[in-house]
Amino acid sequence: MRTPIQQKLLVYLALLPVLLFFIGPILWFLALALRPPETAFTVPPQFIFTPTLKAFEYTFLEPGNNRNQLLNSVIVSSGATLLSLPFSVSAAYALSRFQLRAKRFLMLWYISLLMAPPIVFLIPYFVVMARLGWVGTHASMIIVLQTITIPFSIWLLKSFFDEVPDELEEAALVDGANRLQALLRITLPLALPGIIVTSMFAFVFSWNNTVFPLVLSNQRTATLPLGTLSYFATTGVTWNYIAATAIVTMIPPMIIFLLLGRYIVRGLTFGAVKG
Amino acid sequence: MRKRLPRQPLPYLMLAPSVIVLFSLIIYPMGFALVNSFYFWNLQTSPYPVQFIGLSNYQMVFQITPFMDSLRNTLILSIGGTFIEFWFGMGIALLLNSQLRGMTIARTILIMPTTVAPIVVGFLFRYMFYEGSGLFSWLLTGLGFAVPERGLLGSSHTALASIAVADIWEWTPFFAIVLYAGLLSVPEEIVDAARVDGASRVQMFWRIILPLIKPTAVIIIMIRFMQLFNMFDLVFVLTRGGPGTASRTLSYNLYYEGLVNYNIGLAAAMTWLIVVIVTIIINVYILIAFKDWEW
Repeated sequence: MRTPIQQKLLVYLALLPVLLFFIGPILWFLALALRPPETAFTVPPQFIFTPTLKAFEYTFLEPGNNRNQLLNSVIVSSGATLLSLPFSVSAAYALSRFQLRAKRFLMLWYISLLMAPPIVFLIPYFVVMARLGWVGTHASMIIVLQTITIPFSIWLLKSFFDEVPDELEEAALVDGANRLQALLRITLPLALPGIIVTSMFAFVFSWNNTVFPLVLSNQRTATLPLGTLSYFATTGVTWNYIAATAIVTMIPPMIIFLLLGRYIVRGLTFGAVKG
Repeated sequence: MRKRLPRQPLPYLMLAPSVIVLFSLIIYPMGFALVNSFYFWNLQTSPYPVQFIGLSNYQMVFQITPFMDSLRNTLILSIGGTFIEFWFGMGIALLLNSQLRGMTIARTILIMPTTVAPIVVGFLFRYMFYEGSGLFSWLLTGLGFAVPERGLLGSSHTALASIAVADIWEWTPFFAIVLYAGLLSVPEEIVDAARVDGASRVQMFWRIILPLIKPTAVIIIMIRFMQLFNMFDLVFVLTRGGPGTASRTLSYNLYYEGLVNYNIGLAAAMTWLIVVIVTIIINVYILIAFKDWEW
């Protein structure tokens, strides 16, 4: 029998390399963004260097080619999230509150859309958007992103609506309110935290999506994750700029996930696991 | 219990917008792909389909594109990746479940990789895999492993595995965090009772804990398997399917034919082949994962 102290020590000893493995690549890329370019590809790798903000200056201030992409990412991700809300809130409410014969079928249909390969839709979208002259617009990306944000939000929101007790609404109905009033005055405010959580996830998923903007954006409307590619395409790969752009791309999703705390399990499983 | 009149129109009115929007967003590309899969059409030479060629595109998918290789790579990646990520994640979840101090911090650190855009993960690892100077290659060499001369991504033996490593890095924490939540919800009385009855740790895990978290496990395995099956971003940044076709996945093969070669007719035929494969897999999964689901 091992003593508890030894056992504790073993757990920590096992966890330490694991955590290092998972945080290491992020820190190493942060280091790349901060290090002088000539130290980026030395053998052996240099762990000690004088940090500089030059790469961030170049990418976001002067000339700041990526600043505009940051704005595009905010527009596309917020747009995709906001546009999906009216569709998903109403559908999730209906699926949560009513016994419907088609409920099982619909829920499974939504989740199978989430699991379909996005690339499959992309080529037809590209051709039709090109014909409409919409390639390179924010709207084209926001619309196509609905194939992800709407079904995802319906699943996650339903799990939140399920938790708002039905009795409150019933009481309101008895008092003479109609369904819509009961929804707007009682359930919606109570489910508001869930709606905010859902929006935050939808925002992150849109933010991190690269496949759609890769094909549907142009130079003017490219989103931030694509900004990393722009330096990759040029000759003499400028890795410090890639790293600086990548670090800035990572920050919003990280902050949002830190804020989401205990809801992360639920969000990543589309509400299927409560956590 | 919810007892509502089933025939009132309100729920259907509330569901209609999402169904209509999603249906039109999906039916159009699918119809487009179906029609054009019977035509010869290269977007570089003509803005419209050129000539009806029957089922030739479907034949050519197998003849001139590495479809079967891509399918094989995709299956290796999704089955192997899901398996490793699940058990690695389970190990971490069990460690976290020791309920020692500092586990909240450990969980927070673990969440970080899952927040990173896959395309950025690709760059993180491309840098780490760099021949000679990349941290990962350098560590491997230091540990006495032979790193291929053309780098981990440039050798056909290691390219697919390297993509898997990047994906394992990003998504093992997903399993760890979700399974940890599952472990926390296992009632302590059950575990205590088993311990009193003299169950060993191993027995406890296989006979009691695993069955209790199985519903959760099945769902996350399903989600992750499909995400791996659809793998595109990492391939795009890390290897572009190369060297040769050693790491080409179905999604990348489709992208390459459709949006690099602009062979729309051929890509349309491939789209339908992939849709059929994916539909079969998803339906089998759904039957298993949501069998006893309460709607």
